[in-house]
Amino acid sequence: MLFRRIYQFLIVYCVGILFLLMIKYAFSLSNYVIPGIGGIIEIAGQVAPTYIYDVFNTLSVTILGQLISIIMAFTVGIAGRKSSWIGSFIKVTAYNIQAYPIVALAPIIFILLGDGFLSRLLIASMICYFPLLLSVLGVMAAPVRDIEHFYIVTGRMRWQLEVKIRAFENLSKLVTVIAGSATLAMAGTIVAEFIAADAGIGYGIRIALYQSDLAKIFVALFLIGIVISIYQGMLETIGENIKSKWSISKGDMLL
Amino acid sequence: MLLECHNLNFTYPQTETIVINNLSFSMADSGFKAVFGPSGVGKTSLAKLIANGINSFTGKIKTHGLSTILYSYNLERLPGWASIGNHLSKVTPEGRDGLKTDLIGIFKLEDLMGSRFSQLSMGQQNRINLIRYLLQDFDLLIMDESLANVDEKLRQDIILAIKTLFNDKMFLYISHNLREVSKFCSDILVFSDPKGHKGYSMVKGQDCKSKQDLDKEKLDQTILEIMNAF
Repeated sequence: MLFRRIYQFLIVYCVGILFLLMIKYAFSLSNYVIPGIGGIIEIAGQVAPTYIYDVFNTLSVTILGQLISIIMAFTVGIAGRKSSWIGSFIKVTAYNIQAYPIVALAPIIFILLGDGFLSRLLIASMICYFPLLLSVLGVMAAPVRDIEHFYIVTGRMRWQLEVKIRAFENLSKLVTVIAGSATLAMAGTIVAEFIAADAGIGYGIRIALYQSDLAKIFVALFLIGIVISIYQGMLETIGENIKSKWSISKGDMLL
Repeated sequence: MLLECHNLNFTYPQTETIVINNLSFSMADSGFKAVFGPSGVGKTSLAKLIANGINSFTGKIKTHGLSTILYSYNLERLPGWASIGNHLSKVTPEGRDGLKTDLIGIFKLEDLMGSRFSQLSMGQQNRINLIRYLLQDFDLLIMDESLANVDEKLRQDIILAIKTLFNDKMFLYISHNLREVSKFCSDILVFSDPKGHKGYSMVKGQDCKSKQDLDKEKLDQTILEIMNAF
């Protein structure tokens, strides 16, 4: 899973670079517009240590932001799973708010909180929170009648058991959504850094943009891609391990 | 104990499809009763009406001495995160461990207690599901195809054992097996094919309580009666 993610990214990255180089040579563009391979490698040697630090800085905010949004999405999703008025209210509110582009709210967040760590964290968690919430709400609000029936008619159903049944039955979906939301959290953090932060790889890209240095941007994109691929691959591997441990213990034999 | 339905009518919500049309019947005393008929004539809907699973009907359902009614069906599943033995222990009321062990033996599931539900065959899944219902407090247990995919010999052993162990309880057995309902049930409510316009009939079954307790001639007579009512 992990290696597949990395080589998939490498293929896409290489295809992208080759496409730009084809444009460069087809239209005889200068190295100032699109740098050559040699120029990219040279710049990579110069900025790699700084950019690696910046990418991990961004990743740390991404992970924390994603963690907060997962906790929030499950809390609200579990509370909103019932078809009571409060459940309906939460669902309708979530569907309406998620339709609004969160990035558009970024200036308000920067005005109120400044351009530090908190703003990046808030934007990262908000961007991946709503898609997560909609998936969790969808899973938690859908009864698994074939399993739940017995517990309901015998008076054994508790909210914890209901949540456990629904989460277990939709584990693959939840793992996919959580792994997918890592990209959203990373995108949110980079956008926040790009707009008004003073640290992280998004901030580095902004400086490179002001310098019109495409080689630096290529290096930054490469590092972002590698790191997010590894992170997503790790999330998927953890998800697979949880699924296999939870569903069938090692001692069990298939009949 | 008495189960009585008067002028029961049920239409699928938001449709005009009449599922149950003016049904009246009564079933008294403990033992095995049956609902028999082709697919889609409303057997499961009737079961759900009786078990309070559906409220949008007209007519009356009277239950005397049947305070706890449970409805079980053959597509039910146990959660997959633990073994079936573990699940069974968690839903066994206090003081019924002996009954649980007996039922596991009768249903021939001793060797499977460490397995997960998804690892069982369909017949095994239905048997383990039925055991957990039998361990609960109930006066009437509705068994909607609860022994589907179980081989005939074992099904017979299970029904006879249930009749012995739970002789003070009422069972409403929904099945497509004509011979089985004729042989083991005392009252059989027959739903006819809607195209035949015969409605509903009540037929007396043989109510066998042991393997020897069977008059083949009478059984054939019951089968014929049901076929005529079908």
